[in-house]
Amino acid sequence: MKGSRCLHQLKSLRLLSHAGRLLPAAAGDNGALFRLHSSSLLGGSQCPQREVLRHFHSSPACTKSQPARFVQEEDKTRDKSLVAHDDLFEQVAKETKTKATFNKVIDVYTKRDIRRRGHVEFIYAALKKMPEFGVEKDLTVYNKLLDVFPKEVFVPQNFIQRMFNHYPRQQECGVQLLEQMESYGIMPNIETKVLLVQIFGEKTHPMRKYQRIMYWFPRFMHANPFPIPKQLPEDPVDLARFSLTRMANDWDAKVTVYQLPCTDITDSGAEVTLPHIVGIQSPSQMEALAKHNPCRPVFVEGPFPLWMRKTCVYYYVLRADPAPPEEKIEEPYDPERCLMYPLQLDLDLDRDLGDDESFDVEDLDEGPVFAMCMTSQGDQATLNQWISGLQQSNPILGQIPTLFRLGAGPRELQGVGDTDSTSGTWFPSHVHKEEADPGEDAEAVVEEEPRRSQGVKQ
Amino acid sequence: MMNMNRLIVSRTFRIGQRLLGCHARHAGQEELRLQQRRSIKTHCRHLAYAKDLFLGQVNKAEVFPYPEIGNDEVEEIKQLVAPVEKFFSDDVDSAKIDREATIPLETLQGLKDLGLFGIMIPEEYGGLGLSHTIYARLNEIIALDGSIAVTLAAHQAIGLKGILIAGNEAQKKKYLPKLASGEHIAAFCLTEPGSGSDAASIQTRATLSEDGKHYLINGSKIWISNGGMADIMTVFARTEVEVDGVKKDKISAFIVERAFGGIASGKPEDKLGIRGSNTCELSFDNVPVPVENVIGEIGGGFKIAMNILNSGRFSMGSSCAGMIKKLIELTSEYAATRKQFNKSLSEFGMIQEKFAMMALNAFVMESMAYLTAGMMDRPGVPDCSLEAAMVKVFSSEGGWICVSEALQVLGGLGYTKNYPFERFVRDCRILPIFEGTNEILRMYIALTGMQYAGKILTGKIKEMKKGNIGLAIGMVSKKLRTSLGASVDLGLTGKDGVVHPSMEDSAKKLEQNVSLFGSTVESLLYRYGKTIVDEQLVLKRVADVLIHMYAMTAVLSRASRSISIGLRNHDHEVLLANTFCNDAFFKNNYWMVQLQKHSPENNDANIKKIAKQVLENRAYICSHPLERTY
Repeated sequence: MKGSRCLHQLKSLRLLSHAGRLLPAAAGDNGALFRLHSSSLLGGSQCPQREVLRHFHSSPACTKSQPARFVQEEDKTRDKSLVAHDDLFEQVAKETKTKATFNKVIDVYTKRDIRRRGHVEFIYAALKKMPEFGVEKDLTVYNKLLDVFPKEVFVPQNFIQRMFNHYPRQQECGVQLLEQMESYGIMPNIETKVLLVQIFGEKTHPMRKYQRIMYWFPRFMHANPFPIPKQLPEDPVDLARFSLTRMANDWDAKVTVYQLPCTDITDSGAEVTLPHIVGIQSPSQMEALAKHNPCRPVFVEGPFPLWMRKTCVYYYVLRADPAPPEEKIEEPYDPERCLMYPLQLDLDLDRDLGDDESFDVEDLDEGPVFAMCMTSQGDQATLNQWISGLQQSNPILGQIPTLFRLGAGPRELQGVGDTDSTSGTWFPSHVHKEEADPGEDAEAVVEEEPRRSQGVKQ
Repeated sequence: MMNMNRLIVSRTFRIGQRLLGCHARHAGQEELRLQQRRSIKTHCRHLAYAKDLFLGQVNKAEVFPYPEIGNDEVEEIKQLVAPVEKFFSDDVDSAKIDREATIPLETLQGLKDLGLFGIMIPEEYGGLGLSHTIYARLNEIIALDGSIAVTLAAHQAIGLKGILIAGNEAQKKKYLPKLASGEHIAAFCLTEPGSGSDAASIQTRATLSEDGKHYLINGSKIWISNGGMADIMTVFARTEVEVDGVKKDKISAFIVERAFGGIASGKPEDKLGIRGSNTCELSFDNVPVPVENVIGEIGGGFKIAMNILNSGRFSMGSSCAGMIKKLIELTSEYAATRKQFNKSLSEFGMIQEKFAMMALNAFVMESMAYLTAGMMDRPGVPDCSLEAAMVKVFSSEGGWICVSEALQVLGGLGYTKNYPFERFVRDCRILPIFEGTNEILRMYIALTGMQYAGKILTGKIKEMKKGNIGLAIGMVSKKLRTSLGASVDLGLTGKDGVVHPSMEDSAKKLEQNVSLFGSTVESLLYRYGKTIVDEQLVLKRVADVLIHMYAMTAVLSRASRSISIGLRNHDHEVLLANTFCNDAFFKNNYWMVQLQKHSPENNDANIKKIAKQVLENRAYICSHPLERTY
């Protein structure tokens, strides 16, 4: 076991030095690596060296035991090589950050040097800059970036190369690229596959990564029974319509726009903004409301947040407390109800336990929800407008006392002073868009990134 | 009236005989209790053949021998049938009626002259005063034109039935004569936009006027057959009734004349089939109806509606049989003359199968229809609603299959308007829908029986649930015995047998089915209790088994009679009966095996799940097979 591991290490060292020869730009780093390895080998300690080779199959324990000095050392070296590429992006970024400029940077890089010197660093830098340029969800850009790799150089030629980690740094970079695609939910296409085969060959780590993505992505693509479109509607009314329908999840529920947003200028010259009010109610909710005991109040509650992808909207509900048990009278069985067959059997027999397939669920009555609405201005006056709109189709609302129990809700998130402005920008206070775009996964990737490049740098 | 009296005399005589026999038979036996129950039942004339099947019993006295009519009635039929048949073959142009979507006035007049508008109205009110059996016989011919059949059925099977069964003498005297002559046409107004079988959602309301002499009816009714031409309508409306000091809404039935004013009929519906019949919406706007036009008592409309609906169904069996018999004539000629590969179509097995199937169906429907009609003609007020519902379900579905198979024999020709088959197919499609959809009737069939069996079995099942060892051992040993192949003897064959020996095997099969059905019902009641109302898939199978057992009974009874009195071609009847019983036996066994399983094993759970997912999305939710994810 030990013997084979030593052999493995020696071979990888040779491979690494080989890589160093091929890639002069990285030669310095590799030299340092080589030194380190020799020392660690001699010292008999395997940990640092395994860390270098860890890239794909390592125990987390080893990761943690990485000595701090490597990081510092490698920080310096990284600065030197990466700054150049970062600069390239920074220069362009001064003008505009678009897909076109991003592509231009890639073109500039590929044309500058036929040998593609430092392409790994370039790709890492590019990956990092992608969100800035807004191309992090663009498959063509990823493919273009993958195209930066020189072709056929890293394809293992014999079984030994194939068995060991051939060009680990490049492979890892390729994997990193695929991983970033994965975290943004971008599915590779056949072009990606062709590129990967050309660059790394079959059965290499990036190829495996590709295969794994292609295994899981299609399977999870439709896992959500309530899919949210990639592009949410921009118009607040449309957005409200969409999110209300989504929450109600009732085909019969009808969306009513009680008021469209508009800005008026009054005679006195003051600008008055009318908020949008969009409500939803289903026929069964109307029925339930009609049966509601008018002595018991109904409540307008909210705002409650609803997150859709990176957008947060707020909604209000019209609800009541659960009816007390004495008010719940079951409709007595009327034998003269059905003309054709008995609706109930007059038998003193209950269902047998063996056929009782119901679960024992603790039934917590939360009280009925009669309607929902979304508005850009959650004050009582606006919501009152909604209630009076509802009253047209639910006349009973005129007799039921309506209480407003409104929380501060979105204002807390937005800070103070927003609600008094008359600038017509109510919308942002209620539709809160998260600017820091990458989700948890993406953030995790960002965190991980330095560590990975550490491994590579050494 | 003479006929009726004779019937009553002969029936009572027969019953007396049977009673005597019953006593003699049971004298030696110890089962006093059973004997008592039986004799009581015979006295009260509570027909319970189908219900007793739920207990695993064959009440053979009810269905054997096959009901007969007297010789003079046979004569009467001969006299009646010939002109009607002649009229339908010479004077009725069904294709034209279908094309123009109206029955010509001459044709209607012809029907009136034949007295077909008052077949079952007693002679004293100007009708023909015929029995259910003869009504069924006439319907065989009338059914050759779907539009006329529906028009007549809406008129007399439901339209004026209310007056006939629940009206008082004055109402009968006032309305029946004109209805019988066809001067007035009747319609039955129950269905509303929001109310099919749900009486609670009837919105039409009748309010008593201030002077207390009139009811004012307001509301609208849809799909009223004869709605456009009816002069007299039986209208069901909500009325306020005081029950125990509490005011309640109850349904009442009214006789409404179009002449009262305030009735508007909508545009006739454009239908798939029975296009000549008039179906439209009726709206009532403050129609004043005198209080003496209330049928029965105020608030008693529900029972009346139920009785009318229940009694109107039995004739569909003979109608379908008549239609299929006609179809066999039409198609067999084609099959015999059309040549393919130097062979006539009739030599091909698959074509032969279709004819056999049509003959079988016609035979079974006919047997069921006349057995039921015969039961209904017995004196007393026999409750044959269960049997009638079974006849309706079986014949409407069988009819649909036969008609489409008959069309299939002709292939492309059948699909054209040059032949009447496409019209038959269209007309036939209404049968499973009207007079109570087959789904609802299946519920009625199964639940009525379950209620009956449940009442009797509750005590036993409770004992079993308590863990009565004696009962359990009895059950197990009975099951063991049947599973070991002990034959079930319910008395259809053997010494006191009623089935002809040439159908002994079939009778045994029926007995086996009945006995297994009895234990199946018992286990269903044990398992579901009163919650069985919600197990529609279970109830459907129960109803299907029952329908097939009743059909087996009917064919056995009929063929036994035919063979015994030597009717022409009785050997063919025996053949048909044996074939049908064989087939039904296997179907029944399959259904009952399914019934004994739990829902995950018999696919019920899956079926419900599929339906749930589809209905939640209100669409077929599978991705298209050509779609891809990458």
